[in-house]
Amino acid sequence: MAEPGESQENMPTADEPLLRTVDLTRHFRLGGMFSKHVLHAVDDFNIAIHEREIVALVGESGSGKSTVAWLLARVYPPTRGEIYYRGRQLRKLRSRKDLLAYRGEVAMVFQDPFSAFNPVFRVSHGVMRNLVLHRPELGREERRREAERVFDSVGLSPKMLTRFPYEMSGGERQRVGFAQALAVRPKLILADEPVSMLDVSIRAGVLNMMAGLRDQEGVSILYITHDIASARYVADRVIVLYGGHLVEAGPTETVLRDPKHPYTQLLLSAVADPREKVESISADTGEPPKVINPTEGCRFRWRCPYAIEKCSQVTPRPSPIGSVQVACHVAVAEAEDVSTRTGTASVTK
Amino acid sequence: MAEPLLEVSDLSVAYLTEAADVRAVDQVSFTVDRGEFLGIVGESGCGKSTLLFGVGQLLSPPGEVVGGSVIFRGSDMVRLTGDELRNMRWRDYSVVMQSAMNALNPMKSIGAQFKDTLQAHGSMSSAEIRERSAEVLKLVGIDPTHLASYPHQLSGGMRQRAMIAMALLLTPQLVMMDEPTSALDVVAQRSLMSKIKELQQRLGFAVLFVTHDMSVVSRYSDRVLVMYAGQIAEAAATEEIFEHPLHPYTRGLMSAFPSLRGPRRELLGIPGSPPDLARPPAGCRFHPRCPEVMPVCLSHEPELYPVGGAEVRCLLYAEQAKEAV
Amino acid sequence: MATDAASNTAITEPAAVTDAEVRAEPRRFTRAVLHNRKAMVGAVILLIMVFVAVFPGLIAPYDPQATVGPPNASPSSAHLLGTTQLGQDVLSQLIWGTRLTLWVTVVVSVIATFISMIIGVTAAYIGGLTDRVLTVITDVFLILPVLPLLILLSAYLTPGVSSLIIVLTITSWAFQARQLRSQGLSVRNRDFLVAARVRGERPLYIILVEIVPTMTSLLAASFLALAVFEVGFAASLQFLGLGNSGELMWGTMLYNAQQAAALESGNPWWALAPGLAVAVMGAGFALVNYAFDEIGNPALRPVRRGKRRGRASA
Repeated sequence: MAEPGESQENMPTADEPLLRTVDLTRHFRLGGMFSKHVLHAVDDFNIAIHEREIVALVGESGSGKSTVAWLLARVYPPTRGEIYYRGRQLRKLRSRKDLLAYRGEVAMVFQDPFSAFNPVFRVSHGVMRNLVLHRPELGREERRREAERVFDSVGLSPKMLTRFPYEMSGGERQRVGFAQALAVRPKLILADEPVSMLDVSIRAGVLNMMAGLRDQEGVSILYITHDIASARYVADRVIVLYGGHLVEAGPTETVLRDPKHPYTQLLLSAVADPREKVESISADTGEPPKVINPTEGCRFRWRCPYAIEKCSQVTPRPSPIGSVQVACHVAVAEAEDVSTRTGTASVTK
Repeated sequence: MAEPLLEVSDLSVAYLTEAADVRAVDQVSFTVDRGEFLGIVGESGCGKSTLLFGVGQLLSPPGEVVGGSVIFRGSDMVRLTGDELRNMRWRDYSVVMQSAMNALNPMKSIGAQFKDTLQAHGSMSSAEIRERSAEVLKLVGIDPTHLASYPHQLSGGMRQRAMIAMALLLTPQLVMMDEPTSALDVVAQRSLMSKIKELQQRLGFAVLFVTHDMSVVSRYSDRVLVMYAGQIAEAAATEEIFEHPLHPYTRGLMSAFPSLRGPRRELLGIPGSPPDLARPPAGCRFHPRCPEVMPVCLSHEPELYPVGGAEVRCLLYAEQAKEAV
Repeated sequence: MATDAASNTAITEPAAVTDAEVRAEPRRFTRAVLHNRKAMVGAVILLIMVFVAVFPGLIAPYDPQATVGPPNASPSSAHLLGTTQLGQDVLSQLIWGTRLTLWVTVVVSVIATFISMIIGVTAAYIGGLTDRVLTVITDVFLILPVLPLLILLSAYLTPGVSSLIIVLTITSWAFQARQLRSQGLSVRNRDFLVAARVRGERPLYIILVEIVPTMTSLLAASFLALAVFEVGFAASLQFLGLGNSGELMWGTMLYNAQQAAALESGNPWWALAPGLAVAVMGAGFALVNYAFDEIGNPALRPVRRGKRRGRASA
């Protein structure tokens, strides 16, 4: 299986990922046309998503995870870099027909179940519009049946099609969000924090539903979240973002069992499990990363207990350590330096 | 045994609207001892925030206390006048809200707001005010130079800390917090919680902590109240609740957390959704969603039954309670 | 624009109430009007006006243009508001004038609201250069000095209702455009609009089908606010002589009365009655607007005083 961040040329066609990005970058100019302040939301981001897999994009606020989703959904264009969908460059898609075709294969689910629906319309509105726009071959009766089918596949009764959003609970609305996405028969669903705003007891149902979509409908999901525990539950692979940079990526169990990047370690130690007793004290107060006019170098260095001089001079790029990609000078150096490790404080366990 | 600091008895809070009377809090009773950290946990709509507002006399129409009493330092707060309450606020008890941006004045510097609070409650000289303000900021881990900063100039985590500092200005005996960490990221949350616990142990105030996230209180609280549909479902020492949850709802909540360590098991969650408090179900309010429901649960409303050191509102334990008497 | 994903609070029900309000607006509006005394009074006034406008013949005692009594007569049992300089019944003129007055007010308000909505929402939604251009245009129209413009236009336009409508619309559409643009900006990044974009909807569709229907209460409130203003403005313009005194409206009555020096030497009611009528109609629109304030701000809604137990005055 091709790993995230693998070189853009020489992609093996047999294993062509569904979607991959090359140095995806997005900057925002803050404060007017002539301002000098540039927010680096995402920088040089490389990802590959394959069929039938759930990839978790984990990060906190300011990490750029939502920006990645909006870039992939083509809400706005990247500042630099390329997105390839099934081998075709998205930038080259100009005609309405091509764009619509892309939107018919890559759909998005939003975080806030309360603002994701137009309160004026019934919940069937989004599903119907999606069917009209992306599956024009269907007649009226067929559309109605499709709407019922997608509602069923997310665990909602077809009777709910006539309800208004305010008549449904948060968990039900999120399922409608997925139903809307499914209506176009997508290959990939971009789920932007789909369970963050739901009660804990409801999340399980939605997470299970997502896993079911991958297994039964063959849909890939980019699961964006700040909750690494839920990422463990549904995702096949995990990508950790910090300050717009990819810091660690790899198979879920590997990354979570043996995190190599100091930020991943910090994140894992901060997540509390109600059943856990171990208290790990950290002096880190959770200050957000500096992403406005950032300088060269690792963006985590100010909070990193292992930072060396190189960290403030050279921006670390993701490098492979085993089956995982890690963007950390210290971790990479240590992994290379196995034979001469002297037992002083080390990043890797 | 020392008298409890706060004693809430049969407190009921309702929202009186033209559409319907909604009883958001239904006859809730609990006590808080000096220096105790009490966690009030529940999901959306359970009434935990309303309970906090009811206890702190912070309700505004159409919300009203419609029954019960809140005895704090010898007086029933429900019956106090506005002036008496104003005297007590910040001095004897203070409140930290969910979003600092809602509670802090964006037009004034932090120092100015601290000064306002201190001046409203007695006479301190300017020098004393400045000294106290710097002191509380240091307590929460903020550099005192930030007294000159405006709220929007601070990060989210720092703003919440500033709110907590403000709550400690007059060293109250009770600090009530409504989801103070919800808007923060995981690392900032953890940091803020340890700071709160550290301060609590150092200064000795009691904490009433409302949250929807059980894991946040699991490490820091002495006791936990689990609320459901306006009532207390279970009340017990923290360790007890997490190791031996008794109420099916509490058990359901525990099993809804995906674990980071240990084997991956299937998450179950709790099917259905909380009841409409304008028309609560007959009998036990949790019965439509309960995996251990019995026929009697549909018609009989359970009381809070004592089981060991805990209290559970569940008919499964009714017999046990009777036998124990 | 990146979404702020920090908040992971489980949402409580109040957010859903807002959506319910938007959806059930017509019903809620009716209820709000019925429960709000001010709005009820306003609604009654307007309904009466509409009735009078539609069936003037049923109520007016005389033909408004006919000479039916002595000139400049004071109010009497035969002529409740007296007569004009030509012996016409003032009351009948007032009644028959309601129709055109109401018509002009409503038409101008509707068209101006529509234009300002299109411009405001488009500016908000498309943003960028389009927004800047439209905002500049709006500002230009806002600061247009009305009177000089009118005098200029009156040289080219024949005095009358049509010209009045044109002039009023041109000079008043800009008032609400700013407000509607603000509203447009506030909904612009709501997820359901982004969702519409992501599924491939065209911008025009999004503006007309997804945005505008969510703004119905604001549009209605804009319409009403504008109407209050237009009644007075139309009458003022006619009073200044920019109307056609042959068309029977309250404003033209004022003009004619002033020309005949009714206040000083004739029947003062000839001037006072239309003035009062304008004020009453304006008040009617303004009062109904109170019901919208209530919908928009739940804190203003009447609270049922329920059973209070053990609550001292606080």
